[in-house]
Amino acid sequence: MKALATAKIIPLLLLLAAWQAASATGLLPKSVLPSFWDVAASLAGMLRSGEIVPHTLASFGRAGAGFFAAVIGGVTLGLLMARIPVIERAVEPILLLIYPVPKPAMIPLFMIWLGIGDFSKIAVIALACLLPVVVATFNGARSVDNLLLWSARARGTPERRLLWRVVLPAALPQIAAGVRTAIAIAIIVLVSSEFISAEKGLGYLIFAYGGVGANDAMLAVVIYLAALGYLLDRCYLAGLRRLMSWHAFAH
Amino acid sequence: MCYGNGAEEVKALESIDLAIEEHEFVTIVGPSGCGKSTLLYLVGGFLRPTSGSLCLRGRPITGPGPDRGIVFQRYSLFPWLTVRGNIGYGLAEKGMPRAERNRIVDEHVRLVHLQGFENRYPRELSGGMQQRVALAQTLACGPDILLMDEPFGALDAQTRRILQDEVRRIWRRDIKTVLFVTHDVEEAVALGTRIVVLTARPGRVKEVLERDFDVTDGEEFEANPAFSAFKLRIWRSVKEEVEGALG
Repeated sequence: MKALATAKIIPLLLLLAAWQAASATGLLPKSVLPSFWDVAASLAGMLRSGEIVPHTLASFGRAGAGFFAAVIGGVTLGLLMARIPVIERAVEPILLLIYPVPKPAMIPLFMIWLGIGDFSKIAVIALACLLPVVVATFNGARSVDNLLLWSARARGTPERRLLWRVVLPAALPQIAAGVRTAIAIAIIVLVSSEFISAEKGLGYLIFAYGGVGANDAMLAVVIYLAALGYLLDRCYLAGLRRLMSWHAFAH
Repeated sequence: MCYGNGAEEVKALESIDLAIEEHEFVTIVGPSGCGKSTLLYLVGGFLRPTSGSLCLRGRPITGPGPDRGIVFQRYSLFPWLTVRGNIGYGLAEKGMPRAERNRIVDEHVRLVHLQGFENRYPRELSGGMQQRVALAQTLACGPDILLMDEPFGALDAQTRRILQDEVRRIWRRDIKTVLFVTHDVEEAVALGTRIVVLTARPGRVKEVLERDFDVTDGEEFEANPAFSAFKLRIWRSVKEEVEGALG
């Protein structure tokens, strides 16, 4: 297990080494891409000085607020759609229409509605995260085995309690997969939303460093975001395996 | 009893007239697709007949109820509940206090020999163990009538034999009425005091046979000539239907 985990990191190390070698030999000019070493040094500096911390907190506050709103709203909406045909018919065309729209393109409109502060950013993040959660919940709730519903009814569960006792738990594995997608989307949309108007946040930082040509610092923030996103995903999966040990998750 | 509508309509059952006495163990055999399970789902109240009616103790069946417990072929356990949670499900739904529930669950865990597996999840159990849990889950609700839909059809021969003995033992001890659907003629004879043979689709009652000898638990019924003759008699009846269905 440990050897396998170590082996997995080798391609990444090779890529970084190739990057550094290309920069050092002049094959990759600094004007095109700063060297890995410069980026790493820049990141180390930001972490040491602590300047990245308030930006991280601001960003994850927004992403978290949008994400949790989307999970609560998405699960509720998905369950309602799966159980009540009228709601499905009413909501489905709207969702299908919103689905292909690049959510960051909605930011200017949301700013007019909600102001240029945090609310418009949170709303865009929530909207973007909502879709995978709704779709996963709807599919999960729809594909509940009839035998489980029959089984519950035969053992005394009344119709109105089936949702809580059977449909929701049976749909949880699929909901969990939708939520995982939403985590990644939250980070993507977060950064775009902070490009447009923000005084704080990791997206703002990337935009600000890029604007003054500090490419090493800009890339340092990108790598920092990637690492945080990866860690978040790992933690989520680990938590899921613990809390939902009854389900055999694919690795 | 019909499924679907228009051109896709399938007639699953036709003019079924069957009365079942209390404390009987009735097995229903017939070729695949003859509507055996449909008949059971009608009694369970999961399906409504398109024509005709079903009565239980003189009252029409309008839906599922805890007086009728059902064991499905498989995949009917709640995957998110442990063995303990699954067996206690019906009791918890009734609002039974935890202490009393635990006592009944423990009793049923012992009944189906699953001591030591109380805290396992269904996916961690073999098919045979899962069906034991399903049986215990159903029995714990204290039904008067046990409906079994090919409950051992997916199990290997040895496990099936052991579980058949357990079901017979439980039926004898609790004197519950059992309605047991199977495609396995030997199983039908080994368990049923009365055997109903259905025709190929649309299923009708072809014949009803009383078993006039006893089968004891753990008996090597292969050695019993009466058993073999009776089994052959029913097998021929079923075979006629299978061949008829194949044209």
